[in-house]
Amino acid sequence: MIAIDAVSKEFETKGGRRHLAIDDIGLAVADGEFVSILGPSGCGKSTLLYIVGGFVPPSRGSVTVGGKPVTGPGPDRGPVFQEFALFPWKTVLGNVMYGLQQQGVGRTQARERARALLAMVHLEGYESFYPKELSGGMKQRVAIARTLAYRPSILLMDEPFGALDAHTRTRLQNDLTEIWERDRKTVLFVTHSVEEAVFLSDRVVVMTRSPGRIKEIVTIDLPRPRDRVTLLLERRYQDHVVAIERMMDAQE
Amino acid sequence: MIRAGRLADTLIGLVPIALILLAWQAVHSAGLAPPALLPSPAAVFTRLAQQLGSPAYLEHAAATLYRLFAGFGLALAVGVALGVAATGSRAVGAVTGPIVRVLAPVPKIALYPAFILTLGFDDASKIAAVFVDAVFPILIATRQGTAVVEPKLAWSARAAGVSPARCLVTVVLPAALPSVLTGARIGLVISCIVVFLAEMITSTDGLGHLLVRAARNFQTVDMFVPLITISLLGLTLNAAFNALRARLLRGFPEES
Amino acid sequence: MTRLPGIPGLAPLVAFAGLLAGWEVAARGIGIDGLPPASRALAEVPGILADPESLINIGASLYRMALGFALGVAVAVPVGLMMGRSRHVAAFFNPLLMVIYPVPKAALMPIIMLWLGVGDASKTLVIFLGVSLPVVYHSYQGGRAVEEKMLWSAAAMGMGAPARLLRIVLPAALPEILVGCRTGLVLALITMVTSEMIARQSGVGNILFNSLDMAQYDTVYAMIVIIGVLGLALDAAFERLRAALVGWAEPSQALMVGTT
Repeated sequence: MIAIDAVSKEFETKGGRRHLAIDDIGLAVADGEFVSILGPSGCGKSTLLYIVGGFVPPSRGSVTVGGKPVTGPGPDRGPVFQEFALFPWKTVLGNVMYGLQQQGVGRTQARERARALLAMVHLEGYESFYPKELSGGMKQRVAIARTLAYRPSILLMDEPFGALDAHTRTRLQNDLTEIWERDRKTVLFVTHSVEEAVFLSDRVVVMTRSPGRIKEIVTIDLPRPRDRVTLLLERRYQDHVVAIERMMDAQE
Repeated sequence: MIRAGRLADTLIGLVPIALILLAWQAVHSAGLAPPALLPSPAAVFTRLAQQLGSPAYLEHAAATLYRLFAGFGLALAVGVALGVAATGSRAVGAVTGPIVRVLAPVPKIALYPAFILTLGFDDASKIAAVFVDAVFPILIATRQGTAVVEPKLAWSARAAGVSPARCLVTVVLPAALPSVLTGARIGLVISCIVVFLAEMITSTDGLGHLLVRAARNFQTVDMFVPLITISLLGLTLNAAFNALRARLLRGFPEES
Repeated sequence: MTRLPGIPGLAPLVAFAGLLAGWEVAARGIGIDGLPPASRALAEVPGILADPESLINIGASLYRMALGFALGVAVAVPVGLMMGRSRHVAAFFNPLLMVIYPVPKAALMPIIMLWLGVGDASKTLVIFLGVSLPVVYHSYQGGRAVEEKMLWSAAAMGMGAPARLLRIVLPAALPEILVGCRTGLVLALITMVTSEMIARQSGVGNILFNSLDMAQYDTVYAMIVIIGVLGLALDAAFERLRAALVGWAEPSQALMVGTT
C-alpha cells in the first residue's frame, strides 16, 4: 500500500526563482491496485512518480510504502521509464540478469529466471542482442522484464509507451494488462493518454496543469479480464473516456 | 560504393606522404643538401629495418615501452578512479575540481627536473613525468563523462537494490566508457610523446636517448630512425586502441 | 552545486594556495630528498624576475612562442576548415596528421638545428609545428559540424565558395577553433620549454636546466613555479578572450589535448 501525504515539490529555476511543480498531493493506492496518473505535459506527474520511487526527495510532505517512509530507491518499487534506460553495454540477457546478480542470485539461477521473463514478454531468441539492435517496443519489453526480474511488489511506470508508435503501443498495453491480471502487482502508471488510462486502470487520477494538483479521481468500474475490442464497444468505457476528456479540456 | 569511397580516400591520403618522400629523395639526388645534413630516404629506411632486427635497438625500445606503459597504466588507474569519485562524491568533486583547473594548463614537462631531483635519474622519474601528463586528460574525460550519464540508468540500478557506490562502478562508469576511452587515447599519445622527451633530456637508454646520442655524434641517419620508430609505435598503439575500443563499445550507438 | 559564493575564480585560488601548502608540508614534514620547501623556492622568484639577463631570456622565449603560435594558427585554421568542408581535403591530410601526431615535435629539434642552426628559427619552427596540430584538428571538427542548411541558404543568396568559407563557416566554427587555439597555446608553451631543454642555449628551459646542472635546486623549483604560473596566466587570459568573442556559444567543455 502506497500512502502519499501532502507532497509538494519545488524546483529552483536557472534565474534563482522557485517553480512549484506539484502542490499538496494526497493519494492512497491499495495493494494490487492499478492507478493511472493523467495530466497535461508539465503537470509534474512524472515528478510525483520519481518521489514515490525515492529518486527525487519531496520538498514537503511524505510518502510511505507498506507503512515505511520512503527515503531512497528500493527493490520493492520497480521503475519503467519512457526512455527505456537499458544498459547499452549489456546484452538483452545481461540487462535482465543485472538486478538479480547484484542481489546475490547465482549466475545460472539468474540466467534461468531472465530467460523465463524474456519468454513472458515474447523475446525468446533475442537474449544475445544488444539494446541498440532492437526496436523501441522490444527495448521496452526488455526494460519491463529487467524490472520484473527482481520481483518488486510495486511497478512505477513513467509514460512507458509514450515513445512508441500507435500499433506497438496497443500491443504492449494488451500484454501489460495480461501480465498484470495474472499476478496483480500494485501499479502507478503515468500517462497523458486518456484511452490508455481508462483501458488499464482501476482508478484514474486527473491532475491540473502547473502546479500539478489532483483535480479528480475517477473509479473505472469496468469488468476484468479486459479485452480491447469488447471494451471499445462498451458504453461505460466510452462514457469514462468522454467524461475525462471533458475534464481535461475544461482546464484549458 | 562506400567501400570504393574508402579506398579512394586511403589513396588520396597516401599522396602527401608519397610527395614528402619524393621531395626528400629529389633534394638528396639533386645534391642540394649534403648527406651529413639530409641522408637519403633509402639509407634511413635500410637503417630502420636493420635496427628493428637488432636486439640492442629493441632493448632500447623495450625500455621506452616499459616507462610508457607503467606511466600510462598508473595514469589510467588514478585518472579513472578520481574521475568517478569526483562524480560520486560531492566532497571529492569540490576538492579535485579546482586543483585540476589549476594544474591542467601548467606545462607539466617542466616538472620533470623536480622528478629528477626527488626520484633520481632512473625509470621512476620518467614514469612520474608520463603519469602527470597523461593523468589529466583521463581524469577530466572520466569526470565529464560520468557527470552526464542519464540519471535514469543509475535509478534503474538503484531501484534493484544496488548501493550508490556499487552503482557508480557497475553502471555509471560503464555508461561513461566512450568518454573515458577518448581521454585514455589522448593520454596514450601523450605518454608516447612525454616518455620520448624525458629520455632525450636525461637518459642512458631508450629511443629518446638514441636520438640525442646520434645528434651528439652527428650520425644523421640514426637521428631519423628513433623518430620514425616512435611514429610507428604511436600508429600501432592507436590501431590497437581502436580495435579494443570497438570491442568494448560494441553495444553503444555508433558515433560519427 | 559546489560553487563558493560570490567571488568567481576563488576556488582555483584556494586550490593554488592549497597545493603550495601541501608542498611546504611535504618538504618540511616528510623531508623528501631533493624537494626544498615551497617558501624557499618562492623566495627565489623575485630574484629571478629582477635579473635583467633572465628577463631577456624569458622575453626571448615568449617572443618565439608568440611568433610560432601566430604562424601556427594562421596556417592551421584554413587547412582545418577546408578539411571540414571537403571530404577529399580531409582524406588528403588525415593520414599525414596521424603519422605526425605521436612524434614529439620538440624531438625534431636536433634535426632542425642541423638545417637552421640553434637560433630563433629552429625553435619557432618547432613551436609552429606543435601548435598546428590541435588547431587543425579542432578547426576540422568545427568546420565539419557547420549546419549544411546554413550553407545552402548562403549559396542560394549567391555567395561563392570562398566567401562561404570566410563568412559562414569561419564564424560558425569559431567556438571550436578557439578551443583548438587554447590547447595550442598551452602546447606552444610546452614546446617552447622542451625545445629549450633540448637545445640548451637560451630561454626559460635553459635557465631551468642550467640551475639543475649547477645544483641550484631552489632556482629549479622557482623556475617551475614561474613556468606553471605562466601557463595558468596565458590560459586564463585566453579563456577571457574566448568568452568575449564567442559568449553566445556554450562554455568550453572540450578536453585539453595535452602535450608535445
